[in-house]
Amino acid sequence: MTDQCPSTTKGEKKRPGKAELASLAAASGTIHGRKAWRSLEEIADTGEFRDFLEREFPAGASELERAESEGTESRRDFLKLMGASLALAGAATIPGCRRPDHKIMPYSRVVPEDSLPGKPLFYATSFPRPDGGAEGLLVETHEGRPTKIEGNPLHPMNQGKPSIWALASIMGLYDPDRLKYPVYKNPARNARVEATWDDFKTWSQHFAQYESNGGEGLAVLIDKKSSPSRAAAIAAFRKKFPKARWVPYSPAESVSGAEGTRLVFGVPMREVLNMSKERTRIIVSLDRDFLHLEPGEMANSRQFASTRLVMSTKDTMSRLYCVESGFSLTGAQADHRLRLSPTQVTAFARALAAYVLPKLGSDAMGLAAAIGDVSGGDAFSSRFVEECGKDLLDAENRGKSLILAGPSQPPEIHALVAALNAALGNIGQSIGYLPMTEEEAADSAKGIAELTEAMAAGEVSTLICINTNPLYDGPAGFAEAFAKVPTTITLSVESTETAAASTWSLNAAHYLESWGDTQSHDGVIAPIQPMIAPLYEPAMSDLEFITWLTDRSAERVDGYEVVRNVWRGFVQGDFEAQWRRALHDGVLHNTQQRTQAPRVNFEAVAEAMVRMSGQAPKGLEVVFQVGYPADGRYANVAWLQELPQTGTRTVWDNPILMSPQTAAALNLEPLHYKVEDPNRIYTKDTYPYAQMATITINGRSVTAPVWILPGMADQTVILTLGYGRQNSGLVGDGVGFNFYPLKGGRRTAECTVARAGGRHLIASTQNHWSMEGRTSIVRAVDLPRFQKFGDTVIPKGHYLYGDQFPTKDSLNFAEQLGELSHTPPNRSIYLNPFNNSKDNTQPESTYSQGPQWAMTIDQTLCTGCGACTLACQAENNIPVVGKKETAKGREMTWIRVDRYYTGDVNNPDAMFHQPVACVHCENAPCETVCPVNATVHGPEGINYMTYNRCIGTRYCANNCPYKVRRFNFFDYGVTKFNGAYYGKELVEAIAPDRQGITGSGKHNKVNPNLIPPRLRQKLDEIERMQKNPNVTVRSRGVMEKCSYCIQRINAARVETKLANLPHIPDGFFQTACQQACPTNAITFGDQLLKDSAVSKTRHSVRSYWLLGYLNTRPRTSHMVRVMNPKRELCDPERVKQWDEPPMHGAEHSHPAEGHSDSHAYFTIPSRKRDDRGYALSLRVLGAKA
Amino acid sequence: MSSIHPDQLTAQRLAGMARPPADVPANPAEGDGTLIDEPGRRAPLVLNNRSFKEVSDIICGYAENKPPRWWLPAILLSGTLAGIGGMFIAYLIITGIGTWGLTNQVDWAWDITNFVFWIGIGHAGTLISAILCLLKQKWRTAVNRAAEAMTIFAVICAATFPGIHVGRQWMAWMLFPLPNSNWIWPNFRSPLLWDVFAVSTYGTVSLLFWYMGMIPDFATLRDRADRRLRHAGDGGPILMPFIPVRTDKIRAFVYGLLAQGWRFSSRHWHRYEAAYLILAGISTPLVLSVHSIVSFDFATSVIPGWHTTIFPPYFVAGAIFGGFAMVLMLLIPARELYPNMKDFITLRHLENMAKIILVTGMMVGFAYSMEFFIAWYSGSQAELYAFINRATGPYWWAYWTMISCNVLSPQVFWNKAMRTSPVVIFIVSTLVTIGMWFERFVIIVTSIHRAFLPGEWHMFSPSLVDIMIFVGSFGVFVTLFLLFMRFLPVFAMSEIKAVLPQANPHADQKGGH
Repeated sequence: MTDQCPSTTKGEKKRPGKAELASLAAASGTIHGRKAWRSLEEIADTGEFRDFLEREFPAGASELERAESEGTESRRDFLKLMGASLALAGAATIPGCRRPDHKIMPYSRVVPEDSLPGKPLFYATSFPRPDGGAEGLLVETHEGRPTKIEGNPLHPMNQGKPSIWALASIMGLYDPDRLKYPVYKNPARNARVEATWDDFKTWSQHFAQYESNGGEGLAVLIDKKSSPSRAAAIAAFRKKFPKARWVPYSPAESVSGAEGTRLVFGVPMREVLNMSKERTRIIVSLDRDFLHLEPGEMANSRQFASTRLVMSTKDTMSRLYCVESGFSLTGAQADHRLRLSPTQVTAFARALAAYVLPKLGSDAMGLAAAIGDVSGGDAFSSRFVEECGKDLLDAENRGKSLILAGPSQPPEIHALVAALNAALGNIGQSIGYLPMTEEEAADSAKGIAELTEAMAAGEVSTLICINTNPLYDGPAGFAEAFAKVPTTITLSVESTETAAASTWSLNAAHYLESWGDTQSHDGVIAPIQPMIAPLYEPAMSDLEFITWLTDRSAERVDGYEVVRNVWRGFVQGDFEAQWRRALHDGVLHNTQQRTQAPRVNFEAVAEAMVRMSGQAPKGLEVVFQVGYPADGRYANVAWLQELPQTGTRTVWDNPILMSPQTAAALNLEPLHYKVEDPNRIYTKDTYPYAQMATITINGRSVTAPVWILPGMADQTVILTLGYGRQNSGLVGDGVGFNFYPLKGGRRTAECTVARAGGRHLIASTQNHWSMEGRTSIVRAVDLPRFQKFGDTVIPKGHYLYGDQFPTKDSLNFAEQLGELSHTPPNRSIYLNPFNNSKDNTQPESTYSQGPQWAMTIDQTLCTGCGACTLACQAENNIPVVGKKETAKGREMTWIRVDRYYTGDVNNPDAMFHQPVACVHCENAPCETVCPVNATVHGPEGINYMTYNRCIGTRYCANNCPYKVRRFNFFDYGVTKFNGAYYGKELVEAIAPDRQGITGSGKHNKVNPNLIPPRLRQKLDEIERMQKNPNVTVRSRGVMEKCSYCIQRINAARVETKLANLPHIPDGFFQTACQQACPTNAITFGDQLLKDSAVSKTRHSVRSYWLLGYLNTRPRTSHMVRVMNPKRELCDPERVKQWDEPPMHGAEHSHPAEGHSDSHAYFTIPSRKRDDRGYALSLRVLGAKA
Repeated sequence: MSSIHPDQLTAQRLAGMARPPADVPANPAEGDGTLIDEPGRRAPLVLNNRSFKEVSDIICGYAENKPPRWWLPAILLSGTLAGIGGMFIAYLIITGIGTWGLTNQVDWAWDITNFVFWIGIGHAGTLISAILCLLKQKWRTAVNRAAEAMTIFAVICAATFPGIHVGRQWMAWMLFPLPNSNWIWPNFRSPLLWDVFAVSTYGTVSLLFWYMGMIPDFATLRDRADRRLRHAGDGGPILMPFIPVRTDKIRAFVYGLLAQGWRFSSRHWHRYEAAYLILAGISTPLVLSVHSIVSFDFATSVIPGWHTTIFPPYFVAGAIFGGFAMVLMLLIPARELYPNMKDFITLRHLENMAKIILVTGMMVGFAYSMEFFIAWYSGSQAELYAFINRATGPYWWAYWTMISCNVLSPQVFWNKAMRTSPVVIFIVSTLVTIGMWFERFVIIVTSIHRAFLPGEWHMFSPSLVDIMIFVGSFGVFVTLFLLFMRFLPVFAMSEIKAVLPQANPHADQKGGH
C-alpha cells in the first residue's frame, strides 16, 4: 500500500496499538488517541467504513427496505450517502493529501470567477521574513495549487522581486516532513501519540490555572515577526496573562544595531536605506553585507544597483568601500575592499571617524577628541583611511554618502557610524531611521538566558514555543532546563527538535495557508492571504493560536476576522473598499512610514568611544553569519541547501571558513591543496576533502570541517548558523554542523581551532577559483577608462562578426576588450538554415521576422545572490541532486552563477560573478552534433530541447563551450529526494547507523541514486504539487537546459493573439530569472522591437558575447562590469590602463596610434576584398555568404 | 620416434607434448631461419619443410582435437569476466548512466574511450587482409585469419559502447533512419550518426571478408570429418583414431553448412579469388575511413583539444599501431601455447609487424608534437592551455603514460635483436595497447575537463561500473578469440599452402621460390 502522504513513521513517533490507545484514553481521560489516517486505503480499514461498504449497493436495497419499515431512513438519505462517498473519493484523489472536508465542492461545479483550467492565477500576499521584515509576493496558483512565488511589483519594499527565502518558501509548504497533526507526549508513559486539535482543545483546560493566576509559570518563546495583527494579539495575550514570561527570540540576530542606536538616539531604531544615484555617491560598508540576507536586502539591492547603472559614457556611478572580515556579496561589489578582522574593522571605523570628524564642525569635535589617534598598524594603511575620508568630505559628496556598520561590530561602532552619518549630513538623505518595536529590539540572547534560568529554577510550569526551536539553537543548559518544565507546547510548521521533545507538538499553518499580515522593514503593511486551505487541516497559524489562547471560549478562530478587526483600527475611510484593494494589490497603500532623522547625541557616542578604547583582539576572532537555511528553520528546504554559497560555492554544508593563510598556519588546509599554486586549488580531486577541526569558544567546542575562503581576513573564523539540524526531515537532517552552542557572548570570548583528525567531503558547484588569465570571460573596466573610450568603435566587424544587426557593423567597446578583435573572419561552407547573418537585411531572412528573443546580463549590476538560480529551479521543475551528486559535478541548475577571483589567491583583488545559462547560440555547436535532432533551432532564435526525442548521447553537452547543458544521470526529477527506497530494511540490517535513509548529511555514505529506480520511492503526491504543470518533468537519460522559459513565451503568444496585437509587447512577460533578479541585471525580450529594453542593452557599448570569437553568436549577451575605483588608491599599472584604448584586452597592449589597422588585418582594404571574393565563391557553391 | 603413428605424433605436437624437429640453423642472426636479409636468399614463409598434408593436419587439428589443458580454465576465466561485465551493463541500463563517473562537464569518458580503443584495434585485421593482400605481401597469410577474427571481435566490443553509453538505451534505435509518420530523421550533420554508418559498414564488410576467406578451409574441415565418417563405416583405418566419430557428424554438418557447397573446383577458386580481391578493394578505403570518421566525433567539435584537423590521419595511424600491437599480443602467446604455430608465424612475421609498430608509433608521436605546435601557432589561449594542461595538468600521468608507451617504448625496435625477440615484442605490444587506451582517454577526458570557462572545470574519476564494463569487454574479446581458436581454422590453410615451396613448380631448384 502506498502512503499518499510522506512517511511519518520515523524515529520515536510510533503509532500506538489499539490496546495502548484504549489505555491511554483511560489514563488521560481527555485523550482518545485517534488514529490519524492519511489515505483512503487506511480509512477503509476502519469499522465504520467497512460497515458502510457492506451496506452499499446492491445490498443498499436492504437499507431502503429497512428505512421504509423503520421509518427513520429514506431513499433520500441513501442517495446522500452515496453522493458523499463519491465526493470523498474525488476529493481525496484530486488534492492529494488533503483531508476530505464537508466544505469542499467539486471544482467543476463552482469554478472560481475568472478561473480557466490550465491558466494560472496570481494572488497577492506577503512573506514574513524569518529575520523580521517582509516582502510582497504574487503567488502563481494552478487550479488552486500554489506553485511558484514571485515578487509583488506593487509592494514598495521589494517591488516585484522575491528574496531567496521567499522563493524557496513554497518548498516549505510542500515539505513532506513538516508537522501534519498534533502529537501528544504522555508524560506518564513517555509515549508519543498522534492526536487531533480537538484533543488539544479538550486538553487546554490546562490553561485555566493560568487564567486565574495571571499567567504565573507560563512562558512563551516566540519568533520575532513584524505583523500588526500578531502584535495586537500578543498585546491582548499579555494583558490577559500579565505575569507570563514573554520572550521574543531570534537566535541568529545581532543586537548591535539596536543597542548602538539606543546609545546614540536614546531609543532603538532601525536603519532604512534610501540610496539613489543623486543621493548616494560614496558608500562605506564596515563589515556589513547589506545586499544579502538582511531584512532590507531587496530594497537595498535595488537601490544600490540604481547607483551603479552605467549605460553611456556620460553616466556616473557610486563608489563602494568595503571593509570586511569575510568575502560577502557586498565585498564582491566593492570598488575598494580591505579584508580586516572584526576588531580591525572597529579600528578602521575609529580611524575613519578620527580623520573625518575634525573637519566637520563643532558637534563632531568632541567626539573626534574622544576617539583620539587610531592607527591601523599592519592591518590597513592610513592612506586608505585618508582617501576614503577625502571621498566622504569631498564637497560634491557631502550629504551624498552612506556609512554602514555590520552585525560583527559592537554597538559603539554602530553609534559612531550614526554620528558620522549625521555629521556628514547623510541622515535624512541616503539613510533614515524608524523606531523599533519592543519585540524587535529585545535582546534574544538575554531573554533566553533569563528564561533558561527561570526554567532551571522550576519557575516555569508551561513553556510555549511558537515558531522557535530552542532545543536546537538555544544556549547551553537549555536542554536540561527544558526537561524540567512539566508541560511544553510547540507550534511549528517545520518539524523541529523542540517539537519532537514537547508535550504537545502542534502543526501550524504555513503562511501560504493562513490569514495574517506583515509589516516590512520600511513599515509597509501588507496582508497575508491563504493560497490554499491548510494541507494538514486543521491547523492554526501563530496569529490564530495566540488569539485562541487568549480567549479559549471561541469554537474556532478565524484569522481572516482577526486581521480585519485589527486593520479596522488603523485603516482610514471605507474599510471594505480598502480591504479589498489591499487584498487585490497585496499591500495596504500609504503605510510606508516616513523615516525619521533623529538628533544624534554626540556626547554619548564620545563617552562610549572613551569606554571602548583599549580593546585588543586575542587569538582567533569569530564571526557568526546566517546561512541559507536562515536561523535553521529552512534546513529541510532542498533548494536552499543546494544553492551555492557566496565565495566558496559549497552546498549542503557549513564548514568553518578561514583565509588560506590562517588555515595554513593552523595546519588545517584542505587536503591536496597548495596555497602557492592557485591553479591546483580543489581541482585535483573529484571529491575535495576538508580536514576536521575542533573549534572551542568559552569552553564549548564543536568539531567541524575547515574550508578556505580566499579574501577573508586572517586570524578570523566565520561560522555559519542554521545547519546541523537533527530533526528537520529527510533533507536537512545532519547537513552541516550546529554552531549555535558556540554563540554566546560577543567578541570577548577566546577561540581556538585545533586539528581533530579525519576528513569531510565538501561539495562545491565550482571547484575552480581563478579565471586562468582568460580576462575576456568576465570583462571588467574602470569607470574612467570606460568614460574615455566607451564610445570608440572599430569599424566593420560586420562580416567577420556575423552579426544580424544591420546597424551594428563594428566592434563596440566591450567587444574590443576580448578576443574578437583578434579573430579572423569566420567562414563556414555550411550555414545553418537560420543563419542569415550575411544578408539579414533582406526581408525574407528568417531572423528578420519578429519576435527574436534575446537576453542580456549586466555584470555590473549582478550581485551574485543566486535568486535567478532558485527562481529558475522553481519555474522549470529542476530537481535537486544532493551532496554526493553535486560533488560529482551533476548539479542540474539551468542558470548558474560562476564566481572568479582575480589576483593573488592569498589576497584577491576582487570577486566577479557571472551568471551563465544557455546563451541560445545562433550557430549552436550542440545542434550540429546531436545525432537524433533532439536539440534544434527555432525561427525565433531559441535553441529548443526536445526531451522525448533525446536519447542521451551527451554529445551536445560535450560540444557546448559554455557547459550549460544538464544531464539527468538518474531519475532525479521523479524519485523521492535522498532516495527513500523499498530495500531500506536490508540496508538497515547491513548498516544500522543509516536508519534506512541515505542522503546528504550524516547519511551520505551511500548514494541512493545507485539503487535501481524500481526500488526507489517515487515523489510524494505532496511534493508533486509544487511542480509547474506547464513544464515537463524530465526522465532519466535526458539532456536539459535553459529554454528562455519557453512556456511563458508561448503563454504570452496566446494572450497576444487573443488581444489581436501585432506583436508581443515588450515587458509583457518576463523569464523567471529576470523576474527574480533584485537588481534587474537580466533583461529579456524581442530584440527586433526598436525600443525594447533588450534591444537597447544588446546594442549597448558594454554588451559582448561570451566566447563570441567561437562564432557561436549567442542570443544572451553579457555586459562589461564597470568599477569605480579611486585614482589615488589604485596601482600605477591600473591607472595607466585608463589611458589605453581597449582593443586588445588586458593581455597585451599596443601603442595607441595606428594599432587598429596594424593588428586587425581584416580592416586592411585589400584583405577585405579578398574576403569578399571568397564570399562570392561560397555563393557559387550554393551557400549563402 | 618412428614407432609412433604419424597421426599420433601430430596429435602430440598439437597438444604441445612433442616439439617439432629441431633444425634451427646455427646462425643466431637468422633466428629460426627466417631472419635472412640477403638479397639473394629468400626467407622461408613456412618452416620445417611442412607438406600440404601436414599443414592441413596441424591447422585442422586445432579444431578437431581436444583442446589443450589450459584452454578450458582460460575460457572459464574470460567467460566469467564477460559475464560480470554483462551484469554490470544490465545494472547500468537498469539504474542509469550516473553509475558511471561522468559529470555534466565530462560527459564522455571511459565509454567513448573504450569505443575508440576497440575500434582502433579492429584496424589491423582489415589492413593485413586487404591492404597487404593488394600489395601482394605473402607473409600476411600466416596472420590474416587471426587478425581478421580479432577485428570482428574488437568491433563487437566497440559497438557495445555506443549502444550502452546513451542515457536511454531503449531508445537507441532512434539513431537509425527509420521511416516514420512524424517525418523525423536522424541528424545527418552529426558525426555520431556517421559513426553509426561507418562502424556498421566496417563491421559488415570485415565479417564478409573473414567469412569468405574461410570457405575453402571450412570445406577442408568438412571433408576431413566426412572422410573419417566414411572410413569408420567401412571399417578401414581411421586417421587420428582418437577423434570420436560422433562429433564428426556435427562437424561435417556445420562445416558443410558453412562451406556452402565448396567443391575445390577451379571455377570455385576463380570466383573466390576474384571476389576476395574485390572485397579487399572495398575494405581498403574502409581502413582509412572508419577511424577518420570516429575522429570526426572530436575534430568537428569546438572544444579545445578536440577541434583539430590532424585527427583523421592521426587516428588511422594510431589505430593501425594499436591493432598490430593487439595482434601480436594474441599471437605471441598462441605461438608458445601451440608450438607448431611457430612454423607458420615465424620470427620474420613478428619482425615485420614490429616494424609496422615502429613506423606507426612514430607517426602518432609526430602527431602528438604537431598538436602542440599548432596549439601554440594558433595563438588561441584556450587551445594552448588545453595542451599544456594535458602534459602538466591533473591528468599528466595519463599523458606521460601515453607518451612513454606509444612513442618511447617502440623505439627499442630500432634494434634487430629486440624486434625479433618475442618476449620484447610482447612487452612492447602490451605497453602500446595500454598507451593507445590512454591516448583516447587523454584526448577525451583532459580536453573536456578543462574547456573554455574555468568556472565549469571538473575532474573525472571512474566508478566501479566503468572499470568492470571495460574489463568485461576484454572478457568478451578473449572469450570469442578462444572460441575462434578452438573451432575455426586459425590460419588460412589454402593460402599457406599456396606459399609453400612445394606449391612452386620450380621448388626443387635452388635459389628460392
